Amino acid sequence: MKIRNTILTLVSIALLAAFIWYADSNFDSYKIRILNLCAIYTILALSMNLINGFTGLLSLGHAGFMAVGAYTTALLTMSETAKQQNFFLKPIVAPLATITLPFLPALLIGGVLSAFVAFLIGAPTLRLRGDYLAIATLGFSEIIRIVFTNTQNITNGPLGLKSIPNNTNLWWTFGLALVTLILIKSLIDSSYGKALKAIREDEVAAESMGINLFQHKLIAFIIGAFFAAIGGGLLGSLIGAINPIMFRFILTFNVLLIVVMGGMGSITGSVISAFAVTAGLEYLRVLDESINLGFVTIKGIPGLRMVVFAGLLMVVVIFFKNGLMGTKEFSWDKLINFFTSKKRFKKKEVGQ
Amino acid sequence: MAILKTDAITMKFGGLTAVNEFNLNVEQGEIVAVIGPNGAGKTTAFNMITGVYRPTEGHIYFDDKKITGLKPHTITKYGMARTFQNIRLFKELSVLENVVIANHLHLKTNLIQAILGNTYPDILDVLWMPKYKREEKKILEKSHMLLEKVGLIDLKDEKANSLPYGLQRKLEIARALATNPRLLLLDEPAAGMNPKETNDLTNFIRQIRDDFNLTILLIEHHMQVVMDISDRIYVLDYGINIAEGNPYEIQNNDRVIQAYLGVAEDA
Amino acid sequence: MSFELFLQYLTNGISLGSLYALIAIGYTMVYGILKLINFAHGEIFMMSLYFGFYGVSVFSMPWYISFIVAIGMTALLGMMVERAAYKPLRESPRITIMVSAIGVSFFLQNLAIVLFGGRPKAFPNVRLLTEVMQIGSVSFQRLTMIIPIVTVVLLFALLYLVNNTKTGMAMRAVSKDHETARLMGVDVNRTITITFGIGSILAAIGGIMWGAKFPQIAPFMGVMPGLKCFIAAVVGGIGNITGAIIGGFILGIGEIMLIAFLPNLTGYRDAFAFILLIAILLFRPTGIMGEKISEKV
Repeated sequence: MKIRNTILTLVSIALLAAFIWYADSNFDSYKIRILNLCAIYTILALSMNLINGFTGLLSLGHAGFMAVGAYTTALLTMSETAKQQNFFLKPIVAPLATITLPFLPALLIGGVLSAFVAFLIGAPTLRLRGDYLAIATLGFSEIIRIVFTNTQNITNGPLGLKSIPNNTNLWWTFGLALVTLILIKSLIDSSYGKALKAIREDEVAAESMGINLFQHKLIAFIIGAFFAAIGGGLLGSLIGAINPIMFRFILTFNVLLIVVMGGMGSITGSVISAFAVTAGLEYLRVLDESINLGFVTIKGIPGLRMVVFAGLLMVVVIFFKNGLMGTKEFSWDKLINFFTSKKRFKKKEVGQ
Repeated sequence: MAILKTDAITMKFGGLTAVNEFNLNVEQGEIVAVIGPNGAGKTTAFNMITGVYRPTEGHIYFDDKKITGLKPHTITKYGMARTFQNIRLFKELSVLENVVIANHLHLKTNLIQAILGNTYPDILDVLWMPKYKREEKKILEKSHMLLEKVGLIDLKDEKANSLPYGLQRKLEIARALATNPRLLLLDEPAAGMNPKETNDLTNFIRQIRDDFNLTILLIEHHMQVVMDISDRIYVLDYGINIAEGNPYEIQNNDRVIQAYLGVAEDA
Repeated sequence: MSFELFLQYLTNGISLGSLYALIAIGYTMVYGILKLINFAHGEIFMMSLYFGFYGVSVFSMPWYISFIVAIGMTALLGMMVERAAYKPLRESPRITIMVSAIGVSFFLQNLAIVLFGGRPKAFPNVRLLTEVMQIGSVSFQRLTMIIPIVTVVLLFALLYLVNNTKTGMAMRAVSKDHETARLMGVDVNRTITITFGIGSILAAIGGIMWGAKFPQIAPFMGVMPGLKCFIAAVVGGIGNITGAIIGGFILGIGEIMLIAFLPNLTGYRDAFAFILLIAILLFRPTGIMGEKISEKV
């Protein structure tokens, strides 16, 4: 059984690699961009699900962590000349002006920095309960954004950064999404992950069972922030330009929505939902644009896409409270059982 | 040797004194009951001992070590475990998971080792097993043993909140035992049980005391259970300790009878 | 800084604080009764400005009629939001209701873009309100005086309503315990709807005065005031109406004084509210007027 499942997993990973290899050379840039976004949102959704879904913390600070990752990655990968062109109002501070690092170290430094910020934020706020934590993390995320708007000699202020090197490609996004998936799944299945779930279920009981609430919440928060920054760094490098406005609360909300739609506390749900929502949002883009039917042009209404999208979200939240997957997970055993039991059922029907 | 000792612990909520200068002394291996009418402050006393509340005044000693003001998780680590009056299981998790989680506090592998250990493919386990997996295996074996002991092994994959009431109480005890306690605090273990279950419970508590070498402190309303099982009894009324002694002494204590008749408690 | 200039800043701070206070009451009342951060409240405030704008500019109603209609429509909108997005989720976990609230807020923002266009519009200028007055050497718009007066009058009216009427009693009962209130014959759903209506009316009154003071309206304008007013409610002690007023004043005056005394930090104006929030949460999580709640174990 175990051997079969491992082989199936390895085969799937190989198939995924083959698909990326094919897509990388055959798909047009628009499709590749959407696939990249899907993978990036998978990372973001998984990292938020760890905090909000598995540990049950109401954290709304994701945009802030993403901003830390995106800015760090951008500043560390941009060339010296690109930086000079960007910082024409106020020159960039000395050490940053000359440093240029390869992509992966830049991403990781962004992640570590974000994890450190999460530690600083978490230390005071993770003692707060429920809604208060939500509003405090939201506040911190806004503070990060406001600080970035005002530190012109580091972040170039409201102008943001342009011509960030386009390092992001399908190998990076899908590769890192896979790594995130594996690491977070390992964490969730481990004793630490079970402790996090216990905290979600009942804080008082968890503490009485010897679980250090604060320490474990901090672990989830820091790991979540690390991966959020990786996602942010990939996103910045994909788009090529970032500014503080990008990292408003709405970005956190987009990720939260993916997590809720997929099911709070389901890794499988987050992955499926990240792909479905990101791709779906692209398809809905037709609502915003004019449609030319040859004889008549239907004028697009800017913003309608988001209205429809928000409406869909409301329907999911109100009528399907547990999202797509609830807390259920995909497993090879379940999949195979599903098919074999169906076959048996069919055979019975034929027999009668 | 006294395993647990409280030195005049007092708990005030605003103007209300829930527990007033309560002195408790529990010896190694004893079964001690705290009884009293509803609202007498029994659960408040438990919450102070286990660290959920910090006493307004007074001190608590566990194994002669002062534990006043320590967090519940630290106290549990020292070897004290509890159950709750209004059952607090991890409802959405399985019976087995509930017990496994209670082993977490003694985990020796750190976070990185645990994550990497879990990433290590299962099929290579025959060649070499990471430290985390070895430890996890041990935890699983112990959890199965505990579930077997309380008779829940066949239900190990059920969701905790799908169990009937009496079994949920047993699961809570199994979960508490998984933390390797030396002192076990039971908050109304017989609540909601029928006479047959109650009878079983008395034997069950004695059994686990002997098997796990425990000291037990319990709150109970069911007088038959209390008189059957306890070596000594403390009686609280309006937060004040009005009597202390063996079951025979308590049954014949005028103040106790008065306290109970006064509130028409059908005990 | 001259004393006159200080007075100028102070009056500005008081009038901004009054606006924050009016909007904060809506947050505090809804939180008191449903334990919900009504993220859509900022958008309800934003919608009230558009209602007022359309009445005057498009339907050419006199401003006073237009504003009354706008207040009525905002109340209706608030109650509709409650019925559609919160009522079906009464028994759901808190996070679900919060996501629903954020969803409504997101929905209304984008609906505003679709209906009213994304570009900012100019709120109608009402001479009676915006005329400049002069007291001594301090000059200010008439509005700056009117806003605090309206706020104080509304506060007393609201306190009377909550403490001395049957509806108010029902509200207090529901905020303590839904089930018990129901058993005592209180129509819980109706009481919650009324609470949303009142909160929305106050947001609309605040909104219209906001529009007169800062005459530019846009679909995303509700976000920042919304967050700040929630913070005001938390600072004052969430669930407490007087607290919301106090929190609003602290926030409004503090913000203006920050700019006045530390002009270098003008860019951090919006951060002030969040830093205040975090300071309060750390040192007095229940706010200035709040009571300590401890969980029963």
